[in-house]
This record gives sequence, C-alpha cells and structure tokens, in this order.
Amino acid sequence: MRTMVEHAIETEGLVKVYRGRGGEVRALDGVDLRVPRGVLFGLFGPNGSGKTTLISVLIGLQLPTSGSARVLGFDSVRESLEIRRRVGVLPENYGFYEHMTARENLEYLGRLDGMPARELKRRVSEVLELVGLKEWADAKVKGFSRGMTQRLALAQALLKDPELLLLDEPTLGLDPQSVALFKGLMEELVKQGKTILVSTHLLQELGHICTHAALIRRGRILAQGSLQELSKAYREARGYGYEISVAAGAEELVRELRGIEGVTYVALENDVIRVRARQDVTEQLSSIASKYRVRSLVPLAPSWDELYRFYQGERE
Amino acid sequence: MMEKILVVARKEVLENLRSARYWGLVALFVLFYVASTYAIGFAIRGFGATLAGRQRVVLQLSTNVVNAFAYIAPLLGIALGFGAVAAEREKGTIRLVLSRPIYRDDLLNGKLIAAVVLIVAALALSTLIAVPLAVALQGVNVTAEDFARLLLLLAPALLLALAYYSISLFTSVNASRSSHALMVSLVLWIFFTFVLPIVASLIAFHVLGPPPAITFRPNATRPFQPGQEPAQLREYFQKYSQIVRTVQLASPNARFQELSSALFATRQQTGAYEELSKVLSSHWIDVAVLAAYIAAFLLLSYIFFLRRQETR
Repeated sequence: MRTMVEHAIETEGLVKVYRGRGGEVRALDGVDLRVPRGVLFGLFGPNGSGKTTLISVLIGLQLPTSGSARVLGFDSVRESLEIRRRVGVLPENYGFYEHMTARENLEYLGRLDGMPARELKRRVSEVLELVGLKEWADAKVKGFSRGMTQRLALAQALLKDPELLLLDEPTLGLDPQSVALFKGLMEELVKQGKTILVSTHLLQELGHICTHAALIRRGRILAQGSLQELSKAYREARGYGYEISVAAGAEELVRELRGIEGVTYVALENDVIRVRARQDVTEQLSSIASKYRVRSLVPLAPSWDELYRFYQGERE
Repeated sequence: MMEKILVVARKEVLENLRSARYWGLVALFVLFYVASTYAIGFAIRGFGATLAGRQRVVLQLSTNVVNAFAYIAPLLGIALGFGAVAAEREKGTIRLVLSRPIYRDDLLNGKLIAAVVLIVAALALSTLIAVPLAVALQGVNVTAEDFARLLLLLAPALLLALAYYSISLFTSVNASRSSHALMVSLVLWIFFTFVLPIVASLIAFHVLGPPPAITFRPNATRPFQPGQEPAQLREYFQKYSQIVRTVQLASPNARFQELSSALFATRQQTGAYEELSKVLSSHWIDVAVLAAYIAAFLLLSYIFFLRRQETR
C-alpha cells in the first residue's frame, strides 16, 4: 500500500549478496538511503560500488537478500509493478530493437507502460523532440551513434512523464554536446518538480548539477545529504577555505588577516588571497575586507571529488 | 494484463515477419516440400491409376512430406525460441522491457502466442505454395481429401515445432548468450533426428542379430511381391520395428512421424483414409508425448525466468 512520504526513495539495511562458484559478493552491504522529493540526487561511486545493483533492487529487477526499500511509498518487493508504473528508468547496459525505428521502439515500450494509444503518439513525438531526435524518429536504431542511442534511452525513460527518474550512468561515453543536453534536461525536469536519482562515477561531469548526493563504496553509503550538509563535516575536519580578490592594499590586508583567531594559512598570489581557517571566519573576513578595495570574497566549497575522498578516508 | 501479452505478441510477429531468418526458413520449407513431391511424379508414372497404385502414391506423398516436415518444423521452433530471452538479454532490451510494469510470465506468454502464429503461418504458407506447385509441375493428382489430410498434417507439425520451441525457450531463459541457447537446441535436434534412430537400429540389431537368410528364385527381378514376404522375415522386422519404436518412445521426431504417417494410412480394400477418431485413439501416446514436451519445457521456462534475477 502506498503511503505519502517526504522521501522519494527510502531504504533500510538493504543487503544484496551474490553467491557464485567464486564465493560470496556483497554488492549492497546495509544501504540506508534517503532521497528527498524534487531534487537532483547524485549516487556517486566508482565502478563496482553497487550503484547499478541498488537501482535494480529499487525497481524490483532484483530481490534484496535482506533489508527493505520503498520507492514513492511502494515496497520494492511486493509492489514493484506499482513502482515501475511511476518510475522512468535509464538502465546501464540497455539496448534497443535495432531493426525497429526510434518511434517504433518508443511506441512498443509505451504500450508496455500501458499508455493509451492517442496519448502515446503525442508523447512519443514530444520526447523525441525534447532529446533532439525528431528528425531521426523514423530511422532504424541500427544506424544510431552512441550519443543518439543514449538520447533515445533518455526519451524512453521520460515517455510516461514519471514522478521519479532513475538514471544509471547517463553520460557514459557521450560527447560534450550530448552531456550538456543531458544536464540541461535534468535541471529543467527538477524545476518541474520531478525527482531524479543519477548514478555516476564521473563526479566532475555531473557533480556540480546535483544538490544532494550519496557517496557509495563497496556497497556501503559513506555519506549522504545536501552539498552544504556534507561540506560541513569536511570543513570541520579539513578547515574552511576562502578566496579574496583584491584591487589594492593586498599586503596590508594579508597582515590583518593573519591576526584573526583560528586562521591557519594566508597566501597572496596575483592579487588573490587564499585563506584557510580552523573554524568559520566568514563574518570576521567580511568585516575586515569591507575596509579594503575587495572585488570578491568567496567561501570555497569542496568539490564532490574532494568530499568523496574525504568520506572514504573517514570510513577506511 | 491480456493487453500487454498481445502487445508483446504483436511486436514479436512483426519483428519476425521483417527478418530474413524467418523468410529463409519458409523458403527452405517450400523447397523441401516441392522437392519431396518431385519424386511423386515418378511414382504416378510407375504405379498408374489402379487402387494399389493410388495407395502407393499416397504412401510416397505422405512419407516425403512428413520427412520434410520432420526436418524443418523443429528448425522453425528452434529459430523462434533460442533468441526469445537470451538475445534480449544479450542486446540489453530485456532491461528496458522489465523496467516497465509488466509481469515476466506475460512477456513469455506474448512470445509463445507469437511463436504459434508464426509457426502456423509458415506451415500453412508452405503447404499452400507447394501443393499447387506440385500439381502444376509434377501432375500430382491431389484430391480434396488428400489436400484435407495435408492440411491436417499441420497439427502434428505444429506440435513438433512447439516442442522444439519450448526446449529452445528453456535454453534461452537460462543462457546469457543466444549462441549458447542455439547450440544446445541444435545438439538436441541432431540427437533426436540423426543419432537416436541410428542408436535404436544398432540396439535392435544387437538384440535380434542379423536378419534371417532368404533363398531367392534364380533370375528373379524381385525377391517377392509386396505382402508376400516369408513369415520368418516379417516376424524379424516386426520385432525390429518394435525395438526401434521403444527406444525412440521419448523422441519428439519419432512421435511426430508415427502420428503423421497414421494420418495418411489408407484402408486396404477401399483406399480411403482411416477415420480421424481411429487415428487419434490408436496414436494418443504420440500426441501425449509431444504435448508433454511442450508443457514440461514451457513450465520450466516460466519457473526459471520468474526466479532469475537479471544482473547484467
């Protein structure tokens, strides 16, 4: 039964063990994940960290060994059909029917989604236009490039206008133009109120558009939350960083900054002062900087890459 | 959920009708069929229009056509079955399909319906092309009753093709590559079509020893007239047939040939075909074995596919 929840995805102690001749592999090892509604959520981790398995378990393609998952309020084991009715998925290692056209592929998948014929026809044209494949609608998929196939894969995920999108490595192997199209589309969809979970190992490529993330390694969540929440622990451990661009009087400002309690490092390079402090000194910096001709004062946010390395180090 | 089954079935039928593989098999079917009727032209000229002659023609016609079906129908079943799941897994289409709100058994049901439609279409089409060709080219006198029996032959041929489809589907469900599923299916086909009959003969010869020695009349062109074989020899070959039949009891090919040949059996006195009810009552075991193959392998395919987790 569906329950109204604030999280689009909620898992508790999710474990997935593969047993083979080579022994046991714990692809998911007690995953507790919370994905808030209406955000672009990154699931970041290297290859083999359990991202694809997690997505497969969420839509009921694989059964968890233990633990539970709820997607849009539905249980992933008992109500997987209801989940798949509402969720658009771009899986990894997907393929299309190559002897069918882009339109025919989408119409087939749309019929399996249970879409009424008239709505399906309209929607197929819409999503093909959205991903820039309108001119290729009646071409066989066999002749499509990797970028075009990936766009078609996004189109099929968007077909039923889902509340939640699960995109597994959506930009893998794409040219910069297609990556830009993907990012633009994802941001636009979040503005429309959709929730997107995007899994990737390319943190630099997709990290900056995600407002929330979970960092996963060897089937375990290292950390999760918004960029601000995750940055907080990082800053408390590694210190706060700032960049001050100065128009004049930089050397005098440097001397004054060194006097602030908690500041551990100040360096001047080409009219830019880099400051590191043990605690948050934003207010003190602003107060002192106001007396000088300062162009900008920017608190430095750690990148997702830095955060990943930090939380990996914390756990291991 | 019937709607989704039909969506899958429709797509499968259309995809196959566009494939060279399907039409290649239909062409091969027609070729075999026409070739098998070619020899009948000789039979007609050789035996003439007497009752015995007609019975010979019918016997030859049925033997040739049944043989053609026995080779091609399993290949048709295999061609439709080996890639049904494994090829989707290989291409990755299964991940897109299973991420939709569809039950896995509905996917298999759709594929099964499509297979039935495609097999019936191939069998019917080849009959409808080959029989008129045989009439026109070979002067084969096909009566309405002959034609009706040829159409009836489609039923056991469908059962045979479906038996091999079910076996291939089962291998397809469990294979990660369609080539593996194809290989296993073909090995089974070769076993039942070529190996088992030889093994059955060898067993019969081993059990019975060599056939009894017959003394021929000097200058005889034929050792004896049909039906006038020495009792000793008749008895030997009856036992031989019994052993061969027993060894091949579980062979879908042998069961198909027994059932199909019975459809063309004629009465000695009138030359008319045996009644259908009589054919079925004496050959129910053949129908049961073919149906058992279909039911068992389909059931196993459903169980394994429902349990299998798509990890790739």
